[in-house]
Amino acid sequence: MLAIDRHAWTNRWRRHHPGEHLLLAGGGLVLALTLPPLTAGPLLCLLMAGATVVGAAVPMRAFLGVMALPTGFMLTSAPFLALSLDLRDGLHLSCSPAGATLALEVTLRSLGALSCLAFLALTTPVAELVPWLRRLGVPAAVVEIALLIYRLIFIFAERALAGQQAQAARQGYSTRPRSLKSLGLLIATLFQRALERARRLEVGLAARGYVGELRVLTPERPLSRRRLAGIGGLLLAVALGSVLLDRGLA
Amino acid sequence: MNPVILSARGLEYSYPGGIVALSGLDLEVSRGRKLALLGANGCGKTTLLLHLNGTLKPSRGQVLLDGAGAGYGRQALNVWRNTVGLVLQEPDDQLFSATVEQDVSFGPLNQGLPEAVVRARVAESLETLRIAALAERPTHSLSFGQKKRVAIAGVLAMRPEVLILDEPTAGLDPQGVAHLLSALEQLCLAGTTLVFSTHDVDLAYGWADDVAILGQGLVVCQGEALATLADAERLRAAHLRTPTLLALAVALGFGGGPEDPQPPPRTPAALIARLQSAKAAPTARCPRSPHAFKA
Repeated sequence: MLAIDRHAWTNRWRRHHPGEHLLLAGGGLVLALTLPPLTAGPLLCLLMAGATVVGAAVPMRAFLGVMALPTGFMLTSAPFLALSLDLRDGLHLSCSPAGATLALEVTLRSLGALSCLAFLALTTPVAELVPWLRRLGVPAAVVEIALLIYRLIFIFAERALAGQQAQAARQGYSTRPRSLKSLGLLIATLFQRALERARRLEVGLAARGYVGELRVLTPERPLSRRRLAGIGGLLLAVALGSVLLDRGLA
Repeated sequence: MNPVILSARGLEYSYPGGIVALSGLDLEVSRGRKLALLGANGCGKTTLLLHLNGTLKPSRGQVLLDGAGAGYGRQALNVWRNTVGLVLQEPDDQLFSATVEQDVSFGPLNQGLPEAVVRARVAESLETLRIAALAERPTHSLSFGQKKRVAIAGVLAMRPEVLILDEPTAGLDPQGVAHLLSALEQLCLAGTTLVFSTHDVDLAYGWADDVAILGQGLVVCQGEALATLADAERLRAAHLRTPTLLALAVALGFGGGPEDPQPPPRTPAALIARLQSAKAAPTARCPRSPHAFKA
C-alpha cells in the first residue's frame, strides 16, 4: 500500500493529466475483456509493464510486486478451473483439453486486466485521480469521504505502529496471551483517538470557514494531444496484434 | 480605527464534567502587535484561543471584535473567522487534503474567492513560509516542521487580520523556530496582529511586544513584555520563571535602572554587544552584584 503510494507520487508521469492514465488503463481493461485472451492478455501485460517501467520510470520490481499477489491467486485457482465435476452418474472428475484452454484463457484475461490496474495504481497519485471521479458523476460526499479516508489512513497507520512499538518496549508482546490483550487495548485506544481527532479536525476546518463542503483546488494539468494519440495508437496496435496473432494460432 | 482589535470580557467556561477552564477572564489584543499568552500546562491557554475565534461559546462573558460584541450565528461566525485565523497546535489535526497546495486552497475557496485569486493566494502563502517547493507534495510525506508551516499557510491564505497560533514553536528544531519566527515577523510588519500561546518564557521575552500571563483560568496580568516579565514573583506563582536573558542582563547590570536608561537587551546578540561596549569603556559602568536580582 505505502510502496504503491510512494511510486504514484514520485514517478515520471505523475504530472501528466490523469485522464491520459485513465484512458490507457481503461482502454486496456476494455481490450482485456473483449479481445481473444490468449494473445491480448500477454500483449497487454507487456504494454503496461513497458508503460510503467520504461515510460513512468517505476522500478520493475515494484510492478512485479503489485502483480505478484493476484497472480499467485490466479495460478493456484487455475488448475481447478481446468477440472470438471460430473455428478449425473456417480462422481466423475475429469480434465479435458477444452477445460484446460478455458483455464488458460481466464488466467491470461485476468492478468491482462490486472496489469492495467497495476499501471494505474503505480503511476497516478490519488489526489489527481479522485477529483476525476467527481466529474464522472460520483457524488461529492463520496469523493470527500474517500479523500479524507486516504489522508487518515496514513495518520492512523503511523499511530498504530508507534503504539505497538511502545507496547512492545514494555513487554506487551512477550507471550501469546499478552499479545492478544495488548492488541485489544491498542485497538480500543485507536478508536478513541480517532474520535478525538475527528473532533479536533472539525475545529480546524471550521476555523477555515468549513460549512459542509470540502472544496479544494484541483491541479491544472494540460491534456497532451500527442500523448493521447500515442495511447490510442498503442491500444489499437494491441487490438490488431492480438486479433492477427490469434488467427495465426488458430 | 479601534486600537484594540480583539478583546475578551469576563469569559467563563467549564468543560463537561465540571472542570473550570476559564473563570472570568479579561484580555485585550492590540492591533498590529505580537501578544504572547504565557501560562503553564493546563492553565486554559487553548480554551481561551478557541474562544477567540468563536469555536467555543463562553457560558458567561463576551468576546469583542473591533469593539463590537461578536455573534455566534452562521453569518457572524463567517465574518469572525475571516478576520481571526486560528492555527491548531497539532498540524495533523488541521491538514486533511492529499497535497499541500490543495490543503492551503481550502480556506480561500470557502471565502468564495475565484479560482485564479485562490491560486495566487496559495502561491503567496507558501512563498511567505518558504515552502513553495513543497506545493505538490503529498501531505503525509512531510516532516513535522513542514506540516506545521503548511498548517499556518492554510490559515494565512485567508489573509486574517489577527492570526492566532497555539504553541507555534512546540516540537520544532532551533532552525525551524528561527524560520517560523522570521516568517511571522514579516507578517507582523505587513500589519497582521499576532497572538500566540506558549509556556516558553524566553520566546515571549525575545519576541513578543505584549505578554498576558494566564493562571487558573484568568489573565493574571497583561502589559508590555518587559514590564510583565520583570515580575519574578508573579511568574513563579504562575508556574513560570524569569527569562534567562533578562535574568542575565539584570545580573550584569543591564537591567535598565535609573543610572542606565537603555532597556535590557532582548536578544543574545544585543547582550553580547552591550558586554563588549562595556568592556571597551570599563569605567562607564560598574556591574551590580548578582544578588541584586533574585530570579
